[in-house]
Amino acid sequence: MKAAVRIQQEDFSQDEEIAALKASSRRMGGIATFVGCARDFSEGRDVSEISFDAYGSMAVSEMNQLRSDAIAKFGLLDARIVHRICTVTAGDNIVFIAAGAEHRVAALEACRWMIDELKLRVPIWKKETTPQGETWVVAHP
Amino acid sequence: MIKVLFFGPVVERIGKNALEVGYRPGMTLQELRDELALHYPQAFEIVCFFAVNGQHVRDLAMPLADNSEVTFMARFSGG
Repeated sequence: MKAAVRIQQEDFSQDEEIAALKASSRRMGGIATFVGCARDFSEGRDVSEISFDAYGSMAVSEMNQLRSDAIAKFGLLDARIVHRICTVTAGDNIVFIAAGAEHRVAALEACRWMIDELKLRVPIWKKETTPQGETWVVAHP
Repeated sequence: MIKVLFFGPVVERIGKNALEVGYRPGMTLQELRDELALHYPQAFEIVCFFAVNGQHVRDLAMPLADNSEVTFMARFSGG
């Protein structure tokens, strides 16, 4: 079985990730997921592709800590975080987050919290290619 | 020797993703930051996070050990 927290070049399978999450506990009654994907525009400009850079070892360490924190904070039964580090075009998957809990509220709140925290804590940077050239993205709140 | 790593937008402004700085006993993260900022002021305009050996550090007064891996990072934009 694949690790619950990963950075990888290749795309992920949401079905496989959810199946792995479900396999961790038969008490799970709610699963919330978030998929971040590439847009073809940003700040009013066309975006032809998005590439990523990461401090890989620290990113995985921070994502593992983030998962542990979410499990403790929301009483989750399990959680998974996968982030691609590669070049993507519009519609391609970038990040997958799943939170599994006994009930829906904890799962939904934890999923939202994890993606917000990932953007604050995890050393990954996004560069957009536009007709005006390449631009590193300034983080949105 | 201190190994200094750069990523993403900081690499673009410095022109390389790593460099080495001689270790001096007692040197702090603040001293290393100030020394590098003199050489690469445009890069350090966007540096807002620091890591030592892969751990976030908020106290720039932190003394560095020889062979530390230090990273000066711009605001993250993953996800």
